[in-house]
Amino acid sequence: MSANLAIQGLGVERRYGGFRALKGVDIAVKRGEIRGLIGPNGAGKSTLIDVLSGRVRGQPGKVLLDGKDISALKPQERRRLGLARSFQRTNIFPALSVEQQLRIASWAVTDAGIEEVMAELNLTALARTPAAEISYGDQRRLDLALALVGRPSVLLLDEPAAGLTVEESHGLATILRDLANRWNVTVLLVEHDMQVVFSICDGITVLHLGQTLAEGGVAEIRADKRVVTAYLGTEA
Amino acid sequence: MTSAVDKAALAKRPVMPRTARILGFAALALALGVAMPWLVSSKLTLSLTTQAIVDALLATSVGFLVLQNGRVSFGQAAFFGLGGYAFGVLVARQLVAPEVAFLLALALPTLVAFLLGLVFARIAGVAHAMLTLAVGQAFYEIAFRWRELAKGDDGMSFELPQRIFGFASSSLQDPAVMVVVAWSALVLALAGLALFVNSRIGQIAAAVRDNEERARFIGHDTAIPPAIVYAIAAFLAALAGLLQATYNGYIAPQMFHWSLSGTALIMAVVGGAQFIVGPAIGAVCFFFLKDFAGRFAEFWPAIVGTVLVAVTLLMPQGMVGLAFRLWAARRSKP
Amino acid sequence: MAIQLLNGVVYGGLLYLLAVGLVLIFGLREVVNFAHGALFMLGSYVGYTLAASGQWWLGLLVSVVFMAAVGCVLDALVFRSLRKHDHIVTVLITFGLLLILETVVTVTWGKAYLSYPVPKLLAGTVEIAGSPFPIYRLFIIAVSLLVAAGLAAWLRFTRMGLYVRAASTNAHVTSIQGIDVDRLSLVVVGLGTALAGLSGVVAGPLLTLSPTMGNYILIDSFIVVVIGGLGSFGGAFIAALLIGQIHNLGAIYLPWAATMLPFLLMIGILIWRPTGFAGSRT
Repeated sequence: MSANLAIQGLGVERRYGGFRALKGVDIAVKRGEIRGLIGPNGAGKSTLIDVLSGRVRGQPGKVLLDGKDISALKPQERRRLGLARSFQRTNIFPALSVEQQLRIASWAVTDAGIEEVMAELNLTALARTPAAEISYGDQRRLDLALALVGRPSVLLLDEPAAGLTVEESHGLATILRDLANRWNVTVLLVEHDMQVVFSICDGITVLHLGQTLAEGGVAEIRADKRVVTAYLGTEA
Repeated sequence: MTSAVDKAALAKRPVMPRTARILGFAALALALGVAMPWLVSSKLTLSLTTQAIVDALLATSVGFLVLQNGRVSFGQAAFFGLGGYAFGVLVARQLVAPEVAFLLALALPTLVAFLLGLVFARIAGVAHAMLTLAVGQAFYEIAFRWRELAKGDDGMSFELPQRIFGFASSSLQDPAVMVVVAWSALVLALAGLALFVNSRIGQIAAAVRDNEERARFIGHDTAIPPAIVYAIAAFLAALAGLLQATYNGYIAPQMFHWSLSGTALIMAVVGGAQFIVGPAIGAVCFFFLKDFAGRFAEFWPAIVGTVLVAVTLLMPQGMVGLAFRLWAARRSKP
Repeated sequence: MAIQLLNGVVYGGLLYLLAVGLVLIFGLREVVNFAHGALFMLGSYVGYTLAASGQWWLGLLVSVVFMAAVGCVLDALVFRSLRKHDHIVTVLITFGLLLILETVVTVTWGKAYLSYPVPKLLAGTVEIAGSPFPIYRLFIIAVSLLVAAGLAAWLRFTRMGLYVRAASTNAHVTSIQGIDVDRLSLVVVGLGTALAGLSGVVAGPLLTLSPTMGNYILIDSFIVVVIGGLGSFGGAFIAALLIGQIHNLGAIYLPWAATMLPFLLMIGILIWRPTGFAGSRT
């Protein structure tokens, strides 16, 4: 059953002091799938991404990458196995040039091809510019590019379009869909812009108060009464 | 991060010199150094130059931590003192062959700094300044109180052995020889740093300085590269301490004192800690300015303090940064 | 033994007077003041001039008032403009100030070691547990306890004290509540500096005066501030007494380890909880 699953979280729990951010979440994303992860603020979306990527430990809970237990691995070890992530708040190397930081990222992986990554994300013209000096939209794409170096097998994206204009975020979504298909990357995408989620995701998981509220295809989720009440509201 | 490490300025530096260029400059500078005793006849000037070069090495050590790790240290003199003391004590007691003492005096502080660096690299800002201050003073206290080690507070004179590495060691106390040795050490150190900055480990260390978390999430281990930077910086400080101890045949607890660390930091900042050569230039300028200021010696600390305040506020990139800016401005004019 | 404990309290009391000034200035301005030891030294010299001519008490008063004024000037001219700078920049600037103040004192009073007279009123000794103990040292204990009590009352019962506590816990609180931080910090930095002057004069008869006398005690008060948990007034009090005891008892029973122990404590705490210090949040 798990043969074609790219990434799995099993019974993932996480507490911060007395607050239970995740209360035993199971998630399994098929290879090649783009899965949306939605839910209201505080539902535990970012925490789930953090546990899967190794930024925080699940307590308890397991994380499997291609069926292999990686729960005890450090973030850098997970990255070298092909599990990459981006961040909600732009997380780049401000003093380094675009090209230099992508090159440094390429040393940790095989099959780097940073020129290709720069070209796909429209960063080639900015290659020699320090990251601190490029526009916010370019920085968001750089953040994504850092995660894409070496064509990871699984990409965890925590609101990659945060702070972008509507046009920018839709442009980013198009690039993402296209690259995920061509490079065969499995994506778990946290995103508040439902337009983006509905347009590029194959399936959706809805988190609510640290638990899975619903899971299914896009149409299914849009029609789900509980999801509409808890999160989507009447407008969807 | 510190604004002593102006991020934009770091990346805006002219394209990094490549290996060949670095080595070319180094060869040229070495030749100049060898010629120095023939060009300058005054023993006093040569002796002062030797001292200035030792200061430059120590300042380079402090500045390199700022440049590559983004960490401000108030305790770099600990490794300066350690280098001098390791050599002085081992030689005075004839515990090992002088050559071994020489190598241990460099290896020991480097190793200590590497181990400390594994922990210290995780601590930033003022906490790091305080921490290094405390570590440096702890070493000072040991040297100060432990009379059996090297006469504590009084400091200790020691005789160099007859020969070291096959050379008559008395020549190491001759300014005409020592100035060449010290200069060569400085040139090789600066060239080595330039090569390191361009190396993979150097660049990963720069990435860790910039954003430790992201460096992990692009797949790099982030403990070792900064620790290597600490080790290299300590190596340079120890080299300076070793040279000074050899030249003077004397060690004293002041070699560990935080005021020496602080002075080296000031020289580095004033010279421009975002540049590999900045701290050395700052140190040499300070040294000769101090000599020149002669009859105002009483006011010297205030002059240093005022320069520090002015530079920190008005030209955060230091003298070298200012020089680059002026040069760039001139070039952009028709 | 009782005498030795008391001596520890004396040094702890002096450390407290300095450390609490550091805490005050750090709380309001987030400045780690490397010049604090130099201010202590300046205060000591200012008082000395009058004390040497028999006017000890006037010297104390003048020094406190003068240092309060110096503090206000420092705050208005230096610390206020450093608000937007990184903490490390402020460290470098206060380090520069330290060098300038040392020179001012060297030029004015010379480099020679000077000894401070004890005020006539407090000369002599009393017998404690069978040994003579200088009355003057009891006076130091009394002064530091009075300051500690007064400060605690001020922080607890006055509106301004409330603001100071709020600002020390969270720098953003006060700006949100629309308090005039500049006016507040003028008072607080003035107070902290005045305490440095006070401890400078009070410590005078115990130490020898020299332009570098502030360096040693500055590091000890850094240790107190770090061990006390940065920004904590109560913590500084307890840590000062602790370091005072280590300093004194250690010097007698464990002379070798005593000077190291405070440093090791400080190193341990900084490694264990580095975020206590602002500037660690980058």
